[in-house]
Amino acid sequence: MTQKKSIKVVSVKQISIQQPLSEEWMDSPLTYQDDYVKAIDPDFRQFISAGDARRMGKLLKRALATSLSALKDGGIENPDAIITGTGFGSVENTELFLDAMVREGEQMLKPTQFMQSTHNTASSLIGIHTRCHGYNSTYTQKGLSFDSALYDAWLQFRLGKIGSALVGGHDEMTPVFAGFMRKAGHVKEGEICSEAAVSVLLTDRTDVPALCTLEGLILLNDPEPGELAAAIHSVTGGQVPSAIMTGISGNNENDSRYGFLKELFNGTPILRYKHLFGVNFSSSAIGFYAAACCLKKGEVPACLTADGIPVKTDGGILIVNAVEGRHYSISLLKPICGEL
Amino acid sequence: MANGKSVLITGCGIISAIGNGKSEVLDALLSNRTGIGPLKYLKTSHKEFPVGEVKMSDSEMESLMGIEPGTPVTRTALMGMVAMHEALADAHLDRCDLNRVAFINGTTVGGMDKSEQYYTDFIENDSRNEYIKTHDCGSCSEMIADRFGRFKYITTISTACSSAANAIELGADMIRSGEADIVVAGGTECITKFHLNGFNSLMILDHGQCRPFDAERAGLNLGEGAAYLVLESKESAERRGVEILAQLSGYGNACDAFHQTASSPDGEGAFLAMSKALADAGLKPSDIDYINAHGTGTPNNDLSESQAMKRLFGQELPPISSTKSLTGHTTSASGSVEAVICIFALRNGFVPVNYAWANPMDDGIIPNMELKPAGRLRHVLCNSFGFGGNDSSLVLTLTDKTL
Repeated sequence: MTQKKSIKVVSVKQISIQQPLSEEWMDSPLTYQDDYVKAIDPDFRQFISAGDARRMGKLLKRALATSLSALKDGGIENPDAIITGTGFGSVENTELFLDAMVREGEQMLKPTQFMQSTHNTASSLIGIHTRCHGYNSTYTQKGLSFDSALYDAWLQFRLGKIGSALVGGHDEMTPVFAGFMRKAGHVKEGEICSEAAVSVLLTDRTDVPALCTLEGLILLNDPEPGELAAAIHSVTGGQVPSAIMTGISGNNENDSRYGFLKELFNGTPILRYKHLFGVNFSSSAIGFYAAACCLKKGEVPACLTADGIPVKTDGGILIVNAVEGRHYSISLLKPICGEL
Repeated sequence: MANGKSVLITGCGIISAIGNGKSEVLDALLSNRTGIGPLKYLKTSHKEFPVGEVKMSDSEMESLMGIEPGTPVTRTALMGMVAMHEALADAHLDRCDLNRVAFINGTTVGGMDKSEQYYTDFIENDSRNEYIKTHDCGSCSEMIADRFGRFKYITTISTACSSAANAIELGADMIRSGEADIVVAGGTECITKFHLNGFNSLMILDHGQCRPFDAERAGLNLGEGAAYLVLESKESAERRGVEILAQLSGYGNACDAFHQTASSPDGEGAFLAMSKALADAGLKPSDIDYINAHGTGTPNNDLSESQAMKRLFGQELPPISSTKSLTGHTTSASGSVEAVICIFALRNGFVPVNYAWANPMDDGIIPNMELKPAGRLRHVLCNSFGFGGNDSSLVLTLTDKTL
């Protein structure tokens, strides 16, 4: 193991059902009554030529836009690693290919739809576009996909294998797959089925300005309550964070999985983001993004707190993601102290 | 070691077209027996393509695994369970050990075999909702894991045909960094109509037996299967007193950054992945005694991979073969299926044959065609390259303790 250097979050970018590539939602969030909402797309022409854009599905365009925007903002052109999480991959092209095959038979199927249906198209497209020959991988584990990608980056920083990483969480939705999300129980009563594209740029270099530091990350499958408490203690070092970012959505079954936090942290504000950004397999990437935005600002905006009162972020934000009551991800973002 | 703790292999399990289990697969390799033949289990109108199917129906695998008929399960998950069962037994791990074991699985089609069968029901009624839950790749890993107990961490890698190799790399990083003592890593993938048609639309399927590195090669034969390695830290293996099969002494992942489905003419990604793996293992090209090539049999891959191997090894190429000529291309499982084959080569001192090769390519490599004892192999390289230029290489080494 190499000497432990601090891992910094350099920039974060999102395209979602809030204002794209912007933090406007912190002051004036958009609200929705529908149970299925598509993302608001930015003008892609600033990132991709019209010719290239025509050949790409929505997930790819958004992944490229958030990635290029994060790289530009962070002043890092060639990250050492490109790692993506996606729960369903490019469902638009998957559905087109599957639908044609089932309805029209196994002839005349389009190779471009098949090529774009594999989960790793986003990571490889970013690699091609940025000419990055470094580490490139893709994770797909339902709502833990982004966290799994982040964990890979975390390990490689710890082993001294990389000095920078672009980590993404990208999921698009079609009406048909939105129906599947409901039927399979991945999106529940009272939750908005949505889309998200998030890119996070990380580095352990000391000469790059950053939003916050990533202090710890633990992923667990089906933990005992004691193991969860121990993991949180290990990530926080026993210190109480300023607030806890959770996947609380307003659905009782989902929210009950965060109930243990009230017992562990008496009185620490518990934050939520799914009421503004909806639910999809890349939701946890939005949680990470939102926490990093709060640390940059030094304050959690009223729209994320339960009581509508803003919270200071001096003690950092603990992020807890509970997926279907079995997968847990626990991470801690802390403010940059003393520098910049 | 380049960094961190050494990564030992203390168990493995495999199912493929050339056999269910280690002994059947080894026997097929030593008898040079191909598993590629006419389609039997997959329901498709494309009967013209030979494939490397696992020679068991879903219900036969269900009964082998003691699964109640009617339980929602996919073919990819079933094959994964068969391979996992053997790998855990091989490493002497039982249910109560698993809470300190991580499971890193590679798959890309996930539950597509059932989704393509029940797609109309998915949309029109609620009769097959249980199979919507098994559609995504992550659920496949959960199904496999849950059959055996509670693993401490589960995730899924999907980098197309290098998924299993990348799963092994993540598992190894977890051991090197001290995040885990034991990791089960590899991949599983069944043949589906979806990707048979996809590969057909790209015109990269051979209508006959595939011929990797042959001048007349005309594409790949799809295969299916699953294989897992049990990766373990030295301390844990010594504490448990288990047999060490081999060491994973190095690995590398690089991106070709050229095209979504084609490889670059100079094989840059493949060259970088192999170079990184050798550097990571602290070895030079002349230390490698055998390369299990990616060797799909497509005109593009075999030319690109030949260039990459020649760039790295110069005129002193070690024996090379593509065992996809026997197993078919097991896509997301190929990295671990072929890693298990490499372990056989190391432990039994032989170089597997590149079945069905006859004519040298212009500017290509000449693969190994003779099944003979190769003497002592010490280091072997195993290549897996995926769509999107996701290229990975593993170096497997016979350790002194394994002799």
